[in-house]
Amino acid sequence: MMFFAKNKAERRCDKGLLPETVCRYVRAHEHPLAKRTLLRAVRFVVFDTETTGLDVKKDKIISIGAVAISDFAIQVADSFETLIRQEASGDKESIPVHGILKKDLAMAATEQGALESFLSYIAGSVLVAHHAMFDIEILNQALGRFFDLKIFNAVIDTADFAKRIEKGPFSSQDTKAGDYSLDKLCERYRIPIYDRHTAPGDAFITAQLFQILLYHAEKKRILTLGEIL
Amino acid sequence: MASNTIVDRVKTELRHYPPFDQLSEEMLASLAAQVVVRYFEEGEIIFRKGDAPKPFAFVVVKGSVNLYDTLNDEDVLIDICDEGDIFGVRMLFAHDNYYSTSKVAEESLIYAIPVEHFKMLIESEPKIALFFAAEFAAGMPERENSLVHAIALRKEFAESPCKPVLVENDTLQIRAIKNVVTCSPDISIQKAAKIMAERNVGSIIMVTENRFPIGIITDTDLRKKVVAVEENIKSRPVSEIMSSPVFTISGDQTVADMIILMMKTGLRHFCVTEDGTAQSSVIGLISEHDIVTAEGNNPSVLIKEIMQAQEIAALPPEREKAENLLVSYLQQEVAIHFISNVVTEVNDAIILKAMSFAQASLAAEGWNAPEVKFCWLSLGSEGRKEQLLRTDQDNAILYEEPTPEEAEAAKAYFLALGEKVTQTLIACGFKKCPADVMASNPKWCKPLSDWKEYFQHWILSPEPMALMHASIFFDFRPVYGEVRLADELKRFILEKVVAGRGFIQFLAKNALQNPPPLSFFRNFIVEHGGKHANEFDIKSRAMMPLCDAARVLTYELGIKDYLSTTERFEKIAEKEPALKELAQESAMAYEILMRIRAANGLKNQNSGRYINPNHLNKLERQTLRNIFKTIERMQNTFNLRYQLDYIRG
Repeated sequence: MMFFAKNKAERRCDKGLLPETVCRYVRAHEHPLAKRTLLRAVRFVVFDTETTGLDVKKDKIISIGAVAISDFAIQVADSFETLIRQEASGDKESIPVHGILKKDLAMAATEQGALESFLSYIAGSVLVAHHAMFDIEILNQALGRFFDLKIFNAVIDTADFAKRIEKGPFSSQDTKAGDYSLDKLCERYRIPIYDRHTAPGDAFITAQLFQILLYHAEKKRILTLGEIL
Repeated sequence: MASNTIVDRVKTELRHYPPFDQLSEEMLASLAAQVVVRYFEEGEIIFRKGDAPKPFAFVVVKGSVNLYDTLNDEDVLIDICDEGDIFGVRMLFAHDNYYSTSKVAEESLIYAIPVEHFKMLIESEPKIALFFAAEFAAGMPERENSLVHAIALRKEFAESPCKPVLVENDTLQIRAIKNVVTCSPDISIQKAAKIMAERNVGSIIMVTENRFPIGIITDTDLRKKVVAVEENIKSRPVSEIMSSPVFTISGDQTVADMIILMMKTGLRHFCVTEDGTAQSSVIGLISEHDIVTAEGNNPSVLIKEIMQAQEIAALPPEREKAENLLVSYLQQEVAIHFISNVVTEVNDAIILKAMSFAQASLAAEGWNAPEVKFCWLSLGSEGRKEQLLRTDQDNAILYEEPTPEEAEAAKAYFLALGEKVTQTLIACGFKKCPADVMASNPKWCKPLSDWKEYFQHWILSPEPMALMHASIFFDFRPVYGEVRLADELKRFILEKVVAGRGFIQFLAKNALQNPPPLSFFRNFIVEHGGKHANEFDIKSRAMMPLCDAARVLTYELGIKDYLSTTERFEKIAEKEPALKELAQESAMAYEILMRIRAANGLKNQNSGRYINPNHLNKLERQTLRNIFKTIERMQNTFNLRYQLDYIRG
């Protein structure tokens, strides 16, 4: 699937149908990262999105925050934050959660501009997010609308990763709902919680969690990308 | 372009700590935007001595990192960096390889800041440059091998350069320190600081060429004045920050003179000159520390006054005086064993006096004292000679076996005696024991045979109630009367303990009830819920585990003496080579805990039991951490020694 999608995108780049920034992203993912790549050598981008709601079909992204981890260290200088101006103001309920006001949104980037800069920021990296499925899905929706494109990066979900580290790869034990929520994990790994529910704030917290999990993985002799994807 | 939200988060974290708290918003933001957040697990090495410098300076945000130097192939701990400490920056100034090895002591979150940025900062912000210069001027951190070593060092440091020698008992003259460190007023601030560090002194006097005193600089001046000024400490002369003129005195002052002078002037250092004026040369120095400890060398004055009291009403003010003495001792960092000895002496003197008042007033009321020998026992912390602050009183009376015809009269007399003495103690500020463990209680005013029965019962059928009693009664100490009665009881108990090994195991298990908190975050060591939520219970979380352990080992090893927890550990170290180091360390730990608790209690006018961790300074937090590790080791040792893992329930 991924292979065909990449081919299609490359052909459209060749025809000049996609912006140059997007094409650079596409070309960066021409070949997937080798399975034997050492985790320490991977650039991970830990990210979070705030959206107008939880329906990927109809809701929109209003902000993205992200920070990179390389050599297991969180690189503050290599971080990313964007607000997206959405014409359709989303459902009123989610506004209090992320506290992004309309006046902030007026200052924000266009959706297309934000997506382009996010794509060039994540090019060639492994994406990490907590309950990543949702964020990837809603990103794909947006990318589909503008560029007829999907995220090509490999993705790691910190909730799954934590389960895997704590219970082993073949654990079939049912976990209590909520045991692997971001708040619960932060409590378990003693990560102080600030700035919850802003995209960059959550991304920074998730990065600190992922950093500790990487250490635990290394202790269990999990050293390469192939072993955790 | 870094994320503003994340940069702000990092900024907020850095702003907690000097020197970052002195930076402008823009400066701090540019620094925070370059931070690399690293996580380290316990035992990891960040850099080794002799490594080429990494392009980062490190700030500990959570956790702690130990710095070691290698001496004769041995790692010697030279510094502990915890939250807010910066390390690995010396090469910024020295352009040299690392001079120490940094090893992570507990899982840590560390901000690495690119050295290039640090350099820019130092070049553009004189405040920051000064901060580091002052840090380094203060010399290398003391080499501290372990808790034991560190405290021994501190003791040495406290006692060596300025141990006042008392000339005569009555006039209490203080002999000034002779080898005063002096310098010219023209040398640079940095140089003066360096001399102080090298000579290991807390003050230095600026003198003219013929050694007339001009001014003085103390540690405090360096901390307060140097960090606050904005120019180069390498070029500015020391005369700019010295206190001048120096208060000069002649060398024949008594302690009383000095105390009055200190109160009048508000100064802490006095320079002794040949004729007492600034127009003659310096021959010595007397500091507040000398004055207070000189007085402390002779608390006999206080005890004498107690023994000469003519009425009960004269005792409470004397006890207040002892409290004031305690305050000044604590401020002066006088050794705890010395302080507790003094306080115990004073308390014992009060008991003796209360006893003689009670006997006199019983006689006046027409009581006939029975021909039965008796002994007054102090119990609990007072029995262990470690009551610094006045907590609840615990005491008992033990009297020899009366003949059947004497029994009733003896019982009545001793109860009346116990009642009077405890009342006097209450008047002196020793609160009534809520559990009523006092000599005024018929249950605890008994002949020897009854006491033996009590102990036998506690030893043979240990139960929770017995344990509560163990911590009070098993620490009895004779204070007045026939000591041989107490000795006889002690002998009996040791015999029974040997016979019933189960009791020792039971006590040992009980000593493990409070595992020490091992904190990663400061707020993890606090009590949850209740009146003292978010405070740390130093008594039950740190002192009791050690105190209980010392008691168990003392009884197991059959030690007969009436000892304090610290003395018990010292004795255990002598008798049990396998436990030597751990026992010595525990003794130190316990003394430190006593100090922290007493200081906290005096500050808050309470028992000092609950401590707000946010009020502890860095050194205290580090020390507590070390102590928790000691307690943990002790508890692990107990598990093995008494095979407690096999006992259930």
